[in-house]
Amino acid sequence: MSFLSVEEIIKDYDGVRALNGVSLHVRRGIIKGLIGPNGAGKTTLFHLISGMERPTAGKISFKGMDIKSMEPHEISLLGVGRTFQTLQIWGNMTIVENIMAGMHTRLKGGFLSCGLWLPWIKRREKEALEEAKEILEFLGLLGRWKWPAAQLSFAEQKILEIGRVLAMKPELILLDEPAAGLTPTEVRKLAERICQIRNGGITIFIVEHHMGMVMEIADEVAVFDNGQLIAEGPPDAVGKDPQVIEAYLKGKRVNA
Amino acid sequence: MTPWVHIPQLLSAGITIGAIYALVGLGFVTIARASQIINFAQGEFVMLGGVITFSLLKGAGLSYPLAAIVAVISVVIIGFLLHILVVYPLRKTSIPILLIATLGASIFISNTTALVFGTLPKALPSFSGNLPLLIWGVPITPQSMWVLGATFLLLICLYLLSHRTLMGKAMEASSTDPLGADLSGISRNLMVFLAFGVSAGMGAIAGIFITPIFYTSYHTGTLIGLKGFVAAVLGGWGKNSGAILGGFVLGVVESLSVAFIPSGYKDAVAFVILLLILHFRPKGILGSPFIDSRRW
Amino acid sequence: MVVIDHKEFRKRDFLYVVPFWLLSLIVPDPHLDHLRKESRFRRRDLFYLGALLLLPLIWSDKHLHHLMVLAGINGILALGLSLFLGYAGQISLGHAAFFGIGAYTTAILTTRYAFPPFVAFWASALVAAALAYLIGSPILKLKGYFLALATLGFGEIFLVVVREAHRLTGGVIGIFGIPWFSLAGFAFDTYLKQYYLIWGVLIGLLIFSKNLIRSKIGRAFLAVAASEDAASTVGIKVAQIKLGAFVIGGAFAGFAGSLFACVMSTANPEAFGLNLSILIIMMVILGGMGNLYGPIAGAIFLTWLMDILGKYQEYSLPIYGLILILLLISFPDGFGTRLNIRLIYLISYFGRKKRRERVEL
Repeated sequence: MSFLSVEEIIKDYDGVRALNGVSLHVRRGIIKGLIGPNGAGKTTLFHLISGMERPTAGKISFKGMDIKSMEPHEISLLGVGRTFQTLQIWGNMTIVENIMAGMHTRLKGGFLSCGLWLPWIKRREKEALEEAKEILEFLGLLGRWKWPAAQLSFAEQKILEIGRVLAMKPELILLDEPAAGLTPTEVRKLAERICQIRNGGITIFIVEHHMGMVMEIADEVAVFDNGQLIAEGPPDAVGKDPQVIEAYLKGKRVNA
Repeated sequence: MTPWVHIPQLLSAGITIGAIYALVGLGFVTIARASQIINFAQGEFVMLGGVITFSLLKGAGLSYPLAAIVAVISVVIIGFLLHILVVYPLRKTSIPILLIATLGASIFISNTTALVFGTLPKALPSFSGNLPLLIWGVPITPQSMWVLGATFLLLICLYLLSHRTLMGKAMEASSTDPLGADLSGISRNLMVFLAFGVSAGMGAIAGIFITPIFYTSYHTGTLIGLKGFVAAVLGGWGKNSGAILGGFVLGVVESLSVAFIPSGYKDAVAFVILLLILHFRPKGILGSPFIDSRRW
Repeated sequence: MVVIDHKEFRKRDFLYVVPFWLLSLIVPDPHLDHLRKESRFRRRDLFYLGALLLLPLIWSDKHLHHLMVLAGINGILALGLSLFLGYAGQISLGHAAFFGIGAYTTAILTTRYAFPPFVAFWASALVAAALAYLIGSPILKLKGYFLALATLGFGEIFLVVVREAHRLTGGVIGIFGIPWFSLAGFAFDTYLKQYYLIWGVLIGLLIFSKNLIRSKIGRAFLAVAASEDAASTVGIKVAQIKLGAFVIGGAFAGFAGSLFACVMSTANPEAFGLNLSILIIMMVILGGMGNLYGPIAGAIFLTWLMDILGKYQEYSLPIYGLILILLLISFPDGFGTRLNIRLIYLISYFGRKKRRERVEL
């Protein structure tokens, strides 16, 4: 039973076929990279897996369950988290609140019990705050934990988004271009953190254009072009695959 | 059954008022296409058309056609002012604020009208007499024919404007692809400004034509505006053809409903239709370029 | 070239710091929120509470009491709407309808079925909340303008129904003779007593709201307002959150309506129309979105403003529309933000000016 598997997925948008019969699998506990030219369908696949879109045809299953028709929040409850290419942090809250909001489903309590501030709510809030601070410490943002999230730099906001996903205690994280717009130092730090997260037992599926980083940290890489999977395997092999070079790298060799 | 006897008459009344709803709806769509703003003061343009014509006719003693023309020009100017003074300064704020701003303008306009022109209802004389013509056994007033004729002409003018004139094409471009139009040198703000003028003009003309049949007063604008908006959504939000179709459908359904339910509830019909449409088919009858059905 | 050291702090600067500190006690400032403590209540709240308790005793003008009673009711309305509009970021143009539902429920229960006002009070909120639940479930799927339009439609339908169903609601004339609110025999029959009643209820609801905001629900509201997509990917049921905010807002409006009926002794449709819905939204916008005290302050301000305008008779409504627009243009972020920024700027300007003068001697 595969951890995450996608079978013969077809996705049409009003006459444009974004994904044309894609199948791939992600094993538990690895970092899987997904690369390919722009418009190849990578983010579309993420939208399908996370439930924000429905496939036109095909199957998606996670931990053995068919998730293709589930709502995004149901899929999150199963243990899938994601970040966004367009950076969707909640700028109207503080940093620590962003993280704590990520814990929403793990905190018990409904409208009435929160409104009446029952004693166990107070206790849980305290615990949640501690846990959120731990996550922030891991990310290096603890010093400014009360700041409004909108005041962080772009790179820090991207890190915050990852922190929010971690707060969910997911089993699988879909990272959508986390390195876009980061300086080389920041990319290096990001790569370290992603590896640490993987070592903590979380599976990572990452879409990236930053070839150096992906080839370095990924255990397996899949390559998309024009809505189809053209290669899949360890980074070395994929980097040397002639089809991949043809489609994406345009003749340049990749140093794995 | 007795209600059914009245159907033909109600039908003709429904088509007449439907034409007005169509024009008001078009006014909404014109502005919304240019700017993504919903101008809640749209109905006031209709009301003003009738009221200003009345006071020019009775108060200043102008001839009927002249009064009408001056009135339309005045309302167009008011439309421009609305853009410059209210919409433009708030162009960067969020939706709730713009919404309230146009609602505030609507309140201001309707109540100032009450102040300046008095609160009594005003009626205009029919254009060509009150003798109803019998068409297929149904009495239809000449004014109704005028309304339909004017609507038809306005639609043609609007079509020619959008497709044949440079300004019209610029407005179309700006609404279809704002960024592209911007890069081509079409000033978005100018387009919105013009859209307000065009909508105001259409509304005013509609108001002048309909006032001989239904009276006009300072408060009638709000309700007509809301119903015009419902019509635009019903037919397919964002499409001119949608606004037109929606207008007639709403007018007829509303008019016919009087045969079956107590007449006091007539105004609620439009809103019940609105809720039903928004719930079951938010795209509207003809579909909408603005609404992604999966997310809605 | 003269170099001015801004970090130097002179005794003279106390002159500027002290009034600023005093003002910061009173005026809420969302921009300084990252300095706030984690506890739910601060010194400033005690100051407000004290002022509230003492106000009618210091000023014994009947008219002021009446005004503050109305302001309190509007405050409850604004508070309820601020959860939906200010925090969850959704628009409702029909909020006055829930106010009306609360008022009519109390009116009918107390005049026709001799319910004690205290019971009617809770029943009104329950009925309003139930209706909010029924209406909200289908409507809240809509976004932006369309949600606004649907709520507007609901508000209008409510008015039409109230006007037509005269057997139940007394039609256009309304219902008369609603008894004073009373608790265990103690009747709230003067403005002074009503003042304490209403503001007491407001404080209770405020505490409830504060608790909500400080908990996961408040964070969920803000998350939904900022990015629904992101919210759904962390497991937040967006529809449920919006519905919850809507229902709570409706319940608060129900409470307010009940109190209103007991204060005015009558209920008629004219009070519950679009104009009121717009007024409440203005209170929230002026008070600032993402703020609980702001909308209450906005309620006090606008109630007072309406009172002043009322003196101008027929000019009142056009001026009202005009002022609405002007206020929106000047304070789109609410009073608090601009006020504080301007104050800070003003005070720092004087500080810098003094320092500059000294150096240029």
